[in-house]
Amino acid sequence: MENEDWIYSEKVKEHFLHPRNFLMGDESNFDYDAAGLVGNPICGDQMKMYIKVKDNKIVDIRWKTYGCASAIASTSALSELAKGRTLDDALLISAKEIDDYLGNLPKHKFHCSVLGHEALADAINKYKNGAH
Amino acid sequence: MVYLDFAATVPMLPGVLDAMHKAENKYFANASALHTPGHLAMNEIEDARELLAKAINAKPTEIIFTSGASESNNTVIRTFEGHKIETSPLEHHSVIEAAKKYSGEKTPKLYSYMLANNEIGEFLDIKKIVKEAKKQGAYVHSDLTQVLGKIPIDVKELDIDYATFSAHKIGGPVGVGALYIKEGAPFEPLIIGGNQEKKRRGGTYNTVGIIGFGAALKYMLENKTWKKYDGEVRSLRDELAERILKEIPKSSLNTDLQPGKSLPNILNASFQAAEGESIQLYLDAEGIIVSTGSACAAGDIKPSHVLMAKTGDAEVAHSSIRFSFGLDNTKEDIDKVMEVLPKIIDRLQKISTIKIEEK
Repeated sequence: MENEDWIYSEKVKEHFLHPRNFLMGDESNFDYDAAGLVGNPICGDQMKMYIKVKDNKIVDIRWKTYGCASAIASTSALSELAKGRTLDDALLISAKEIDDYLGNLPKHKFHCSVLGHEALADAINKYKNGAH
Repeated sequence: MVYLDFAATVPMLPGVLDAMHKAENKYFANASALHTPGHLAMNEIEDARELLAKAINAKPTEIIFTSGASESNNTVIRTFEGHKIETSPLEHHSVIEAAKKYSGEKTPKLYSYMLANNEIGEFLDIKKIVKEAKKQGAYVHSDLTQVLGKIPIDVKELDIDYATFSAHKIGGPVGVGALYIKEGAPFEPLIIGGNQEKKRRGGTYNTVGIIGFGAALKYMLENKTWKKYDGEVRSLRDELAERILKEIPKSSLNTDLQPGKSLPNILNASFQAAEGESIQLYLDAEGIIVSTGSACAAGDIKPSHVLMAKTGDAEVAHSSIRFSFGLDNTKEDIDKVMEVLPKIIDRLQKISTIKIEEK
């Protein structure tokens, strides 16, 4: 009676059970320059990304979510991949890159990884537009 | 592992596995055949039919075997193609979708109301529906899939015309169901092209599966399982509910626990700001198996229609978890759940984009 979702790769499981760069509690706990928000709770999927920027580079990153397991794992991976990159570089991180990094999400869960992307892009665009 | 998803499927009972293994060798013949092995297989099928008839107070001739509850539901609804069909908003999709497809304006009307819902476990007022139907000369179908074995069933007392049953909800195999059709009630077979089930359902008899269903029914009748559900199982369910409310902040129940209001084995609860699928999988990682009303699959992230009908709040639906108990759960199972659930919810609430409302 194994849950088939645990066919997830070890790396997905690792990131789901021990997500990196969570923002625990109030968002004032993190000193960020811009934040991007996508999705909504009515759809059962919401993601918020917070970035700290220095010299055009993402020097630190946090995120919060009301989302499913795959969204948690893929956003955890994305946050690791984005840290240290320039803003333009970070925008280029593809869903495939995350998928490769995690060792493949189940196909029907691929869309869940898009959420983190969109939130990150929203945060970067807001930063560039001077909304910080 | 702590298995608390019995409303989805009950693991096959040892007696069922045993009966089916034996049947594989012994009752291999086509039950419609006129030779001796065929007759022997048919005898077994009739034994199972009699057991179900006894369990629900019907005549054996009023029962046909199907491939499961979805087929049984579809068969009844399709019989009323072009007629007025009314269903409760809490029905299984196999009722709701079929009614949407086949309903029309003709009379007599068909009412399809389940006796108890599978997601929240709550009873519907079927007496009221039957009374209303009788006034109009309408017919009543009830999906009794979740009810079989949990409380005693008497189709004559319920005064319904059709009823749906499923084997795997009582410890029988998946892929076997049954339909009660009251003598004289209108009927159209869904599958035509065979004389099986007195021309009411075409297709070679699923002898081994039906024998498995029979073995599960035998266990149910001999042990009067509804007594244990009403006693020990109810106590466990109520204890978990009480502990959740007491030990987990911002939790709420979607199931009315009062006796007579819900099946004794189902508890549906919501955890504000924590997403259901994540809760389910964090529990799974701890070896605790439950289900959620928040299904996230291939771009279709619709919350459960049942929880939407009950609460009207998508967030409550997406944050819901169903715990459904079986005959073998113990107090230790509850302890194990409560050892990890509060921590899981606390973490998900802390990382949530949804702000928790302070009261």
